Amino acid sequence: MPGEIRIQGVAKTFVGPHGDVQALDPLELTIPQGQFLCIVGPSGCGKTTLLRIIAGLETPTAGAVDFTIAHEGQPLRSVVFQEQGIFPWMTVLQNTAFGLKVRGVARGVREAQANAYLDMLGLTQFADAYPRQLSGGMRQRVNIARAFANDPAILLMDEPLASLDEQTKLLVQDDLLRLWEGTHKTVVYITHSLDEAIVLGDRVMVMTNRPGKIKSLVDIDLPRPRNVLDMHSNTTFFDIRSRIWTALREEVLTLRQREIHNDSVTV
Amino acid sequence: MSAHQRDRIMVVVSPLVVLILWEFCSRTNIVDRRILAPPTVIAATIWQLIQTGGLINTAGITLARFFVGFFLGLIPGTLIGLAMGVSPWTRSIVQPLVAAFYPLPRIALFPIILILVGLNETSNVILISLGPFFTMIITTMAAVLNVEPIYKEVANSFGARPRDMYFDVMFPAALPVIMGGVKLSVGLALLNTVAVEFLVADNGIGHLIWNSWTTLSISQSVAGLVTAGIIGSALFTIAGQIEKRVVPWVPDNR
Repeated sequence: MPGEIRIQGVAKTFVGPHGDVQALDPLELTIPQGQFLCIVGPSGCGKTTLLRIIAGLETPTAGAVDFTIAHEGQPLRSVVFQEQGIFPWMTVLQNTAFGLKVRGVARGVREAQANAYLDMLGLTQFADAYPRQLSGGMRQRVNIARAFANDPAILLMDEPLASLDEQTKLLVQDDLLRLWEGTHKTVVYITHSLDEAIVLGDRVMVMTNRPGKIKSLVDIDLPRPRNVLDMHSNTTFFDIRSRIWTALREEVLTLRQREIHNDSVTV
Repeated sequence: MSAHQRDRIMVVVSPLVVLILWEFCSRTNIVDRRILAPPTVIAATIWQLIQTGGLINTAGITLARFFVGFFLGLIPGTLIGLAMGVSPWTRSIVQPLVAAFYPLPRIALFPIILILVGLNETSNVILISLGPFFTMIITTMAAVLNVEPIYKEVANSFGARPRDMYFDVMFPAALPVIMGGVKLSVGLALLNTVAVEFLVADNGIGHLIWNSWTTLSISQSVAGLVTAGIIGSALFTIAGQIEKRVVPWVPDNR
């Protein structure tokens, strides 16, 4: 199946002026095609490094990431960056169609495809606006639309909603799930928020402190399609949440101890 | 009163107050009116120069000189700056040369230019071009080097080819700062246009100012100065309008 990700012994060491920093311990993980995997972990645990390696923006020191190649013509992966990743000089429509333009898709076709996603996210009336004229929530919707419009087998997202307020976050999560459900795209989603990880994910991976490795993998047995807005009153949600928190809590406390003893280096 | 309203009102009020004070001081001889004629007299002189003295023609010569020199510096300066921004090799080769020439007073290079190309219109526009040339090299290079790394990452993550990277990402991302350099260049080129006309030209506004001064026609000299000021603010206004068109995504009053 296109879109399966096999992480095989991937490790990363950053060489710095104050000595080498082991960011990731050798890590083994297979993410099946169509799975929505959320990664949580304490600050500096290497989750962003892992995502960047999967995205091909960083080379691992050891190991490799293997993908089942998508069918002819389909791009392998698109990344949803944080808010600043939107191009301020392009209109909303041009931003959304960027991936398609780079792939040489004709203007009419790519604009139609981009417009379809803008429509699904309620952004049609802003198609010709510049990003600075939009709210943070809308800018992130553009970011998401841009990744989806490119129609990749895999979507990689690094805390895309971190800068949004709680209510807006819920609304954009809801939009994201609506867009994703039924597409069979594999998603790797990094977040600081446990709630977000559970609401969105099929599986949550908890990482340890640096050097990052897998602390635990938790399947989220909540039915789909999910309603983000009602999720927080679901009892299963809280069971899962406390299970994951137990794992994460340990790591967070260790991190605090380390910081007190001042052997923390920010990468 | 909003900041915008304030700006719009003061653009008229602020110079007007200075003009009224000037008129008052001159009329009452607080400053010697033979040296600094009142604005109304200067306005009359300007009107007279337009009708009989060919002031429009003189201003046209200055403008032509300005534009030739401006673009002569702007275009290669921008291209070299872009090359230095994207290519570390070009940067390390050209940087020492720029560092050696940039801090020199441009006017001090004039004798060398005269030796190289002779005393003619070419030497004039070359001198005028030096300000825009160095300014554009430095600002364009800085603009390209300071493009947010995340834009390059986004482009790379979508598999952008070098062509997309340069034309769709790096250039537009650098353009707001480049436009800042263009506006700086307008001022520098105008400065050197007038300077070069002081020095060697036998026409143009700078020549009018200097020549009137040496023949003690002070009001005519000041009239030339005022004309230069009007040309300057017109050029700045035009540059501002062009900037708005070229980088429409940049908020005003940044």
